[in-house]
Amino acid sequence: MTGRVATGLSTAVWMVSLVIVLPYLQPDTTSTYAWSDGGGLLDVTLAVHLDALSARLVLLVTTVTVLVQLFSTSYMRGDPRYRSYTALIGLFEVAMLTVVVADDLFVLLVGWEVMGLCSWLLIGHHWELPAARAGAVKAFVMTRFGDLGLLVAIVVTGQAFDTYRISEVLAQLGSGERPPAGIGLLLVLAVVGKSALFPLHTWLADAMPGPTPISALIHAATMVVAGVYLVARLLPLFTPAALTVLALVAALTMVLGALFALMQTDLKRLLAWSTVSQLAYMYAALAASDADAAIDHLLSHGAFKALLFLVAGTIAHATGSTALRDMGALRRSMPLTFAAATVGLAALAGVVPTSGFFSKDAVLAAVQSATAGDGPLQPAVAWILLAAGLVTVVLTAAYATRAWLLVFFGVAGQSHQRAAPADPGAAMVGPLVVLGVLTLALSFSAEPHVVVGIVTTVLLLVGAAASGASWRAGRDPAVLAGPARAALERELDIDDRYLWLAGTVRRAGTMVVAGDRDVIDAYPRGVGALARLGSGLLHRTQARNAQSYATVLAIGALAVAVAVIGR
Amino acid sequence: MPLVWPLLLSCALFGIGLYGVLARRNAILMLIGVELMLNAVNLNLVAFDAWWGDALRSGQSLTLFMIAVAAAEIGLGLAIVLGLFRATGSADVDLAVVDTDEQADGAR
Repeated sequence: MTGRVATGLSTAVWMVSLVIVLPYLQPDTTSTYAWSDGGGLLDVTLAVHLDALSARLVLLVTTVTVLVQLFSTSYMRGDPRYRSYTALIGLFEVAMLTVVVADDLFVLLVGWEVMGLCSWLLIGHHWELPAARAGAVKAFVMTRFGDLGLLVAIVVTGQAFDTYRISEVLAQLGSGERPPAGIGLLLVLAVVGKSALFPLHTWLADAMPGPTPISALIHAATMVVAGVYLVARLLPLFTPAALTVLALVAALTMVLGALFALMQTDLKRLLAWSTVSQLAYMYAALAASDADAAIDHLLSHGAFKALLFLVAGTIAHATGSTALRDMGALRRSMPLTFAAATVGLAALAGVVPTSGFFSKDAVLAAVQSATAGDGPLQPAVAWILLAAGLVTVVLTAAYATRAWLLVFFGVAGQSHQRAAPADPGAAMVGPLVVLGVLTLALSFSAEPHVVVGIVTTVLLLVGAAASGASWRAGRDPAVLAGPARAALERELDIDDRYLWLAGTVRRAGTMVVAGDRDVIDAYPRGVGALARLGSGLLHRTQARNAQSYATVLAIGALAVAVAVIGR
Repeated sequence: MPLVWPLLLSCALFGIGLYGVLARRNAILMLIGVELMLNAVNLNLVAFDAWWGDALRSGQSLTLFMIAVAAAEIGLGLAIVLGLFRATGSADVDLAVVDTDEQADGAR
């Protein structure tokens, strides 16, 4: 009953938003509406702004939410906390929509922070599990680092432009005003936290103990893609320095994420690292100042990543596990899921003619055109980014092939809880079909980039062939990493680096405290000790003995007499 | 007789008296020290009076005056010593309990 209400409500939201935003899908149709000026409080205005960018995101968010709610009615059946779960999905959706349509930076911040709260609550939905609690806290704490950057960036923007309205800031920038240098870097910090880019990338994979539909929601439509949207919306605020930092972070993150994905033994963690890698693609396009390519990849990624996570949920529902070794040979028992997963993984790898192929090629074409050096990005940085993007194409093909082979081919896994895995009911298959169709249909509007397309297809075949060859030889394709495999399986111990960093900071703090206590404080304490010593000496003269006073008196008189006579 | 002899005697008396006052612990002996110092001064006065020799003999008359005062003073002093002895059972000044601020604080 609750599920039907929730699904009905989110469907109603979807229909209403469809009616509202459809006119804005045409380019150059924008409208801004402000309700109140907040009564002078921080100059906050409850203002919304709609254009082609936000309209497309509104459609993505509402569509994925409807499908996740529908999927959850079956996936979460019998869960004791289903009511709070489904209500929080609604709150999550509203928060993301707030970020997308907000025209006031503080209103955007509210949505941004509520999303952080919702992700904490939903990742920790199974709070009986220590891993879920730890993952939720980790996600919350690590994204807070980035949120701090956003807050400071908003304040600095308000100081520099004398308004918090995004449309007014962009209008001032359009009329030739130069943005202050720090804002772009602060916004990079904000999205590094929110979108799990290096070096704050570890929370996304550790958020996997959350319910699988939530992972689909977080990875496809909310939370991590909010960062992409923020950068796309505020791209004129980014100075060349900030774009360079963003490009280097994206280059490193896309390769690292793909390498980690290749090593994973858990299907959900594999998908999480692939999200990290794909998000880095979107930031690569943004660093090349091509917001359209980034948003196109965001939309196609939203479709195929939601599809893949819902496939993972379906498989987990059928086999009772998300570990890759518990799967295998599922293509016969779950043919529909197999078809959906094939479409999703093909889009992830970028196979013709899925939407992933076109949007990824658009990203790479944007980066390639940035290597000419006529944009804000240095050609050398653009070349690094392009090389990282092409390497990631190979790696993505390799791990997508590996996941496809390990899950659906080979021999069946050992620990099937249920009697025999089978395709689930309509409530779970329906969203898979819709998302699979979307993954293919989104490519209709895309324009092909022929040269880049040929290059990526060749690279993709190389990656897939290498992965397939080692699988055919009876080995896990993860051996492709060679001697680096062990280090990559531990995800380069980056969590330990955090702990080391925290320990170092704490030790430095202890040293500062010790310096304050033992060096600086020594002086006032020395003065105090000196005063006590002096008072002790003076105290001794107050001997409460009249004879000693008289002795001093006599000696003094004698001394005065001698001084007078001897002068 | 040269002036120096009585003055030397006076200095010796004063020194002995000062020693008695400063070093002795017995209240009566301290009073005796005080008397010695007083009488050293008296001796000074008489000696300078003889040397100076003014018509009024002011030094000798002042000495007589001082002897009277000293008698009164020793009477008062002995009365205090008697009171001290009655209170503590001893004429030792170091054993005398003096009501100080610290003790008053402690008793409060």
